[in-house]
Amino acid sequence: MVRLLLRFTEEQVPQPIASQIILECKVPMAILTAHINSKGGEILAEVPDEAQEKIIKAFRERGVTVTVPKLIEVDAEKCFSCGSCVALCPVEAISIDKDFIVQFDKEKCVGSTCSICVDACPARAIKSVKQNTEQTVINRKK
Amino acid sequence: MKKLVESSGVEIAFKEVDVVTTGTFGAMCSSGAVINLGHSDPPIKIDHAWMNEVEVCHPGAAVDLFIGATNMSEKQPFEYGGGHVIQDLAAGKEVELRATAYGTDCYPRTQLKTTLTKDDLNQFYLLNFRNCYQRYNCAVNTSDETIYTYMSKLLPRLRNATFSGAGELNPLMNDPDYETIGMGTRIFLGGAQGYVIGEGTQHSPKNLNGTLMVKGDAKKMSPEFLQGAAFTRYGTSMYVGLGIPIPILNEGLAKKTAIRDSQIFTDVVDYSVPRRDRPKLRQVSYKELKSGSIMINDKKVRVSSLSSLKMAKKVSQSLKSWIEEGMFLLTSPVERLPSDSVFKPMRQTQEIPFVMSVMHPAVTCSENEEIRAIAERIVTKSVNHIVVVDDAGKLKGIVTSWDITRAMAEGKKALADIETHNVFTAKPDEPLEIASKRMAQHNISALPVVDIEKKVLGIVTSEDVSKLLGR
Repeated sequence: MVRLLLRFTEEQVPQPIASQIILECKVPMAILTAHINSKGGEILAEVPDEAQEKIIKAFRERGVTVTVPKLIEVDAEKCFSCGSCVALCPVEAISIDKDFIVQFDKEKCVGSTCSICVDACPARAIKSVKQNTEQTVINRKK
Repeated sequence: MKKLVESSGVEIAFKEVDVVTTGTFGAMCSSGAVINLGHSDPPIKIDHAWMNEVEVCHPGAAVDLFIGATNMSEKQPFEYGGGHVIQDLAAGKEVELRATAYGTDCYPRTQLKTTLTKDDLNQFYLLNFRNCYQRYNCAVNTSDETIYTYMSKLLPRLRNATFSGAGELNPLMNDPDYETIGMGTRIFLGGAQGYVIGEGTQHSPKNLNGTLMVKGDAKKMSPEFLQGAAFTRYGTSMYVGLGIPIPILNEGLAKKTAIRDSQIFTDVVDYSVPRRDRPKLRQVSYKELKSGSIMINDKKVRVSSLSSLKMAKKVSQSLKSWIEEGMFLLTSPVERLPSDSVFKPMRQTQEIPFVMSVMHPAVTCSENEEIRAIAERIVTKSVNHIVVVDDAGKLKGIVTSWDITRAMAEGKKALADIETHNVFTAKPDEPLEIASKRMAQHNISALPVVDIEKKVLGIVTSEDVSKLLGR
């Protein structure tokens, strides 16, 4: 499975773009998080690997910004395993093992649509990393 | 030791164990470093100084400075501070120093800029006036908004909890009567050897909130055990690794060092209440805290540590290997620390106003009243805000004279069309300043005062605030 971050502009919000694409491509799409209001928003979706290209193309044709987010990065050098982030994580992607070492599960992390842990790290070891920044910047300027 | 006492009993443990090593690694804000720069040519008597843009203070003569861990960088406030400067110096990094002075006949220089490493300093001593808290609160937030505290980020409505302290590994928990820990005790401090130089500020051993004042040569310390930290919207601090060896001099100490997390309790405190005495929701053991979740009011709340238990273990293990290798010799204290004092609150000669002191009864209406009736009430009672309540007197909404005017202009008749449901409120025991800031922040002129069950107790308006200020 591949995670895609879909960004919708104000004009795209009223259109049933995601459902059209699901029907057209006949591909199941799991929506992991969604933050949308009348001004636009983001959806984090999970799609099968083999369908990834087709889906990305379909969304882009309709003007939706699609990024394959690298999401959250933890600097293992900086992290001293205080654990401040652990209880904050809504998807339990961060845990503390029996030796009290903080473990981060990239697979579970929903990334930049959440980022709840980023500003709670006293060591500033957690960074929210976004890919395809050029495209997102263009979209935001509109 | 703990396992040995449990399996073989105190007597055997006393015979077999010579020393128990302990450790803690937490954010210790009352930390800092004293440095001496040496004299410049021409000499300067520093008035103001900054290291990597962090203001440092000049408590003594011309070129002595104190770097406080919580002082923040003027260029990157809340991200980089005194704790980071100390860590950078300990790591051998170059730090920029800038200073100004008024100039005297003996110290004529008024400006100074240079870069320094720890090797350039005459003295670089860690001097922490409050470290090693015996235990600490568990923090939660019952309000509707996320708050950022020195206990880190607390999500609204009890969505998380944080705690600090090493529990059964904490040095003071293993020697609660200060039999072996006293002035002059040699300790592990920041990766080097340091000393206890007395009781810490706010030392409160009687209720198991003891603290220590410590010092050590920071030139020998390691940045791994002295880490600058940034707490969003609170400020900067420093994590300090501190460990103490406890010689098992008697059976009593063997028993005391066998203490378990399940025997150490602390309070769950609601940090959303901006008062000195915050509500305590329950007592909780460190065993429960380390389990990852605790129950509060029948709700399972996920809890995580702020201090590093991994590093606390590393401190105690490093200390153990130093002792085994003969690199660290234990000392007996030259003077005992107080074991029965308590921490007093501040004497205040000026009272600050609370919402309770200015609030007055609210003019209310029910949800099914007509706008016309409400308009009349606004006129007869001469108020601008009508609080909408249900039969039990609980808050439902608010209507202002402006809402009524607009309803008239737009020909609306139903209260439901014009009332605001999402109402900002105040609590009676909240400082007025905080309620007043809330009004300014949301550009509103009144806050209904409600109790914990949303029952309306009164109202506080911006007029009340200005009247008080104009007195």
